Amino acid sequence: MDQILKERDRLLQRTARLFGLSFTVISILCLAVPGSIDAVAYAVVLPLYGLLATFQYFMGRSRSPGWLLGIVATGLAIIMSMTLLVDTPTQGAQSAITQLSAASLACVAIALATSRPRLYVLVAAVAVVATVTTVLTAMWQPPIRTLLLILTGWVFATIVGVWISAGVPQAARRIASIGRAHRAERQASELEAQRRQSARLLHDTVLATLTLLAHSGVGVAPAALQQQAADDARLLRQLRLGATPTPQSSGDYNLEPVEETVLGTTLESVKQRFGRMGLEVSWHGTGQVLLPSDVLDAFLLALAECLENVRRHSGVTEAHVTIIDDATTVRAMITDAGVGFTLDDVDSARLGFKESVVGRLKEVGGHARLFSAPGSGTTVVLEVPR
Amino acid sequence: MTYSPPDESTLGVLVGVRENRALRTNPMARARRQDGQHRASLGTAFIGIGAALVCALRAIYGFSWFVSLWSTYPNPVPALAAWILLIIVLVTAFVTTRIMGDHLPDWMFLVFVGSLTLVIALDLLAVWDLHDMGRYATASLTAAMSLLLVITLRTTTNVLLVTGIFGAVIAGAMVINTPLTAHNVPTLITSLGFAMLPVVIGVSVVRGFRRMVQVELDRVLVQSTVSAPRFAVGMLASEELARLDLAAEELLDSVATGRNPLPLKPKIASIAASLATELRLHLIEGRRETWLYHAISESEMLGRSVTLVDRGSLAGLLDANQRDGLLAAIWLLLSDNVRPNTNRTVNVQVGPIEQAKQPGIGQKLGVPIVVTTSNVTRNRVDPSTWDAIRRVGRYSDTTQNASLRVDIECFVDNPADV
Repeated sequence: MDQILKERDRLLQRTARLFGLSFTVISILCLAVPGSIDAVAYAVVLPLYGLLATFQYFMGRSRSPGWLLGIVATGLAIIMSMTLLVDTPTQGAQSAITQLSAASLACVAIALATSRPRLYVLVAAVAVVATVTTVLTAMWQPPIRTLLLILTGWVFATIVGVWISAGVPQAARRIASIGRAHRAERQASELEAQRRQSARLLHDTVLATLTLLAHSGVGVAPAALQQQAADDARLLRQLRLGATPTPQSSGDYNLEPVEETVLGTTLESVKQRFGRMGLEVSWHGTGQVLLPSDVLDAFLLALAECLENVRRHSGVTEAHVTIIDDATTVRAMITDAGVGFTLDDVDSARLGFKESVVGRLKEVGGHARLFSAPGSGTTVVLEVPR
Repeated sequence: MTYSPPDESTLGVLVGVRENRALRTNPMARARRQDGQHRASLGTAFIGIGAALVCALRAIYGFSWFVSLWSTYPNPVPALAAWILLIIVLVTAFVTTRIMGDHLPDWMFLVFVGSLTLVIALDLLAVWDLHDMGRYATASLTAAMSLLLVITLRTTTNVLLVTGIFGAVIAGAMVINTPLTAHNVPTLITSLGFAMLPVVIGVSVVRGFRRMVQVELDRVLVQSTVSAPRFAVGMLASEELARLDLAAEELLDSVATGRNPLPLKPKIASIAASLATELRLHLIEGRRETWLYHAISESEMLGRSVTLVDRGSLAGLLDANQRDGLLAAIWLLLSDNVRPNTNRTVNVQVGPIEQAKQPGIGQKLGVPIVVTTSNVTRNRVDPSTWDAIRRVGRYSDTTQNASLRVDIECFVDNPADV
């Protein structure tokens, strides 16, 4: 609110400046008509006009009442010197004085129309300008006419100022309500982003499939890849429609909002998925383990990632997965009889292993160990807490 | 569903356009610009009513002159017709503009301007034989001022152009028709000035008002970041993620249905690769940015002139009051643009964190914040800026490269203790 009041004052000052300067120019133009006033009067009045315009210019930049005082004082000085120096009233001089007293000086009313104390100053200013001008021009035109013109001009300028200032709080209220709506929108957006980001298992498999597609799908049976793409597309559609994908149709993902899920059913679908891609997976050990869903997600992801590595790098088409569980941990051993590798040769900090396996397991309090040697296959041990 | 490659990646880069900085505009700012015209009209309806009021007062003034001059007209019928037409036009225009809201269609504007032209023609015709237009022209001068009715609905150029033409026509007629003497020229100038200046002033008020609303909106929208969590994804993150998900869905669908036969064409494959990269970045990197980063990047005004260095994302540790103070201070440093052509910039550097002298529970962390500026002299800084900075922490101000530099000692709760 504080800030918009500053902006309001700035707007009023600028309007007052434009208002004042415009009518100062009109007033000067009236004087510029040949024969309006004589050369001596020009010499006195023109510098004063310059001063007035300067004050009016600076009124647009600062809220200080000093400029306003300067404007009124200079304006009165101009009127005074004209009435003293011009013997016979001409239309030009008369118009110039009217423009000055009723319009150009009235610009201070716009800048003063903001608060009660400033309005008192305004009333005082009107009183001074009206009195001085009416008295000085009493010989030129009927005082009642002068008074009416001046009052009309000043009342008009005051209305302009008051009207603008009255419009600001209205706008400010509506802006504030837009702001509140925006804050709610921001929170909702944050939540929605969270929902999408926490569907990580889904995104992990989408990313895996996209990566396969990025290699044009070479090395995978087209039918299997199409099936995989269809599964992932369906999951994404469900996510988009705001639904929680159902476990039956989602294959190896379980995004159902349940606390614990049986491991066995999901393991079966992981097996089928790798079967489609040409890696035979044999399960050993426990099939019925209950895990909290976030732990299960991480566990399955790490498992699938390991199997993907077997499929890609081991050179064999068979892998064994042994699941063992005790009171505190669930452990999976993924073994293949493939080419193996020297641990030092492969940087285990590669994004793939570190981000998708180690990172995800660590998030749920688990960890992974890797054993391998050239020619003697690879074993990965994954552990998660129950 | 068919797959068409996106024309712009969510990282803000147009696909196929390399490093074109001008095009890397913030989507938030872009969205706001699109409906900016609409939103900026907020509150101008009230200003419009005020303008209409001024116009009505002027019409009453002009009409009373017309009535008092009735007997001097050689043939008052055209002038009367002009007034009747003018009143009809004014009332119709007022009612229409209230109904139309914030935009007047071109054809309506043309009808409005056409009718006013007719009014001016009739009125000038009526007073032609009197040969003193400054004194006798009434309806035409009010008509020239009637553009006030549409200052909130048409562009500045439109309004000023039409007013200028009207003014020129009336001035031309005055010069041709009235023998210029020292006696009547001031009256001509005065009447013309009173007819045209209100429109010019009105246009400037509306422009200033719109600008004010725009700045305030920008500020209020950005203000919502103050209550954001330590790391936030920003307003558009979910939208970007949703768009990526949709693009991936469409691509996968097209593969599944065989519309993109396997093996894929290199072009589609590269699209898949870039989708995967973007998706990965959005999923992994999503929550690394602080409220301050989002505030700056989402604001049209701050985005232009504020740079932020916050390697440790320490701004996120500031509490709501400190954030509010910092944001207000940056805003105040920039918004006092008394001279519009000076290009003020602000650089905010947060951290690195200070080692506590006696580490322990409950010890606050010291986060130094350095605000360096350009083209901001100390004596032109708004006094309330210092109040705002004081809310962030103890500060000292110096001058660096002829511009203000503020060092703030900010203390925050240690996130390890919370």
